[in-house]
Amino acid sequence: MKKALIIALLAVAAIPLLAAMASMPRFGSPEQPAYTHVASRYLQKGAEEAGADNVVTGVILNYRGFDTNGEVTVIFTACAATAAVLVTSGSRKKEKPGEATVPLSPVVGYVVRLLAPFIALFAFYVVLFGEVSPGGGFQGGTIFAALIIILSVVAGRNVAERVLPARVRPWLQIAGPLSFIAVGTLGAVLTGSYLGFPHARGLLATAMLMGIELGIGIGGATVFASIFWRLGDEP
Amino acid sequence: MTIEASRLFDVGLMTLLVLCALAVVRTKDLLAAAIIFSAYSLVMCLVWDHRGAPDVAMTEAAVGAGVTTVLFLLAIGKTVRREK
Repeated sequence: MKKALIIALLAVAAIPLLAAMASMPRFGSPEQPAYTHVASRYLQKGAEEAGADNVVTGVILNYRGFDTNGEVTVIFTACAATAAVLVTSGSRKKEKPGEATVPLSPVVGYVVRLLAPFIALFAFYVVLFGEVSPGGGFQGGTIFAALIIILSVVAGRNVAERVLPARVRPWLQIAGPLSFIAVGTLGAVLTGSYLGFPHARGLLATAMLMGIELGIGIGGATVFASIFWRLGDEP
Repeated sequence: MTIEASRLFDVGLMTLLVLCALAVVRTKDLLAAAIIFSAYSLVMCLVWDHRGAPDVAMTEAAVGAGVTTVLFLLAIGKTVRREK
């Protein structure tokens, strides 16, 4: 009975959705919103206006910079919320430094140790080249966080935590919003509006974009690793 | 790649996506569900890349298939593995 009711309700909800889809322009048609609104301007002038060859980075950090500023703050809030909800004693099972926390095949341990520097290099490449090629701060930061997580599993947390020392970790966690505020204020001084980028394509605009990318990368990586570590703590 | 081959590739990926989504909802073993969800993210990553969005594909692979799965596994480790 309940199931039949749900199916009937879904069917009713599907009718207006399908009707709306039928009234939309066909796939690939020039009438599509993607071709009639701001997108064409982004594609034509994005590279010179936004100061980044990768149009996606230009849109995310320049045209929609304020959006991204909020999103980065949300990521930090997630970290803070995890810390608030999962109150832990801070202690955990005793482990010897350099030893795996779970029983592990020596092949896995060896391969991870062998690949670790290359993964780190790739992460930084993705962060710093987000301006010209696919990628950016968030993607690179997540790759770096994945490296820290796999190191915690293979080599133990004591080794992995040395990458992000506890003393400076709160500052690293908030690196994303902080770099946005710093660059935004710099933009306000230079152009008169928060997060305004100098229009002339030059070293300064690129440096400002890279500053934000680095901040997002370090912040994202630290937030993900911190959430992982906190979930692993003893209650 | 010809348009037909490209379309066929798309249809295959979409079929896999729907199958993965159904499997995630139906399975009672949460560990299996987490792994299937990771596979879903990988297929989604291929869809994004094939649709010309490598930035999103990278995020999907790193966050969807990687970090989220790890967090799910940790959560399962702290609770129970079977859905009631």
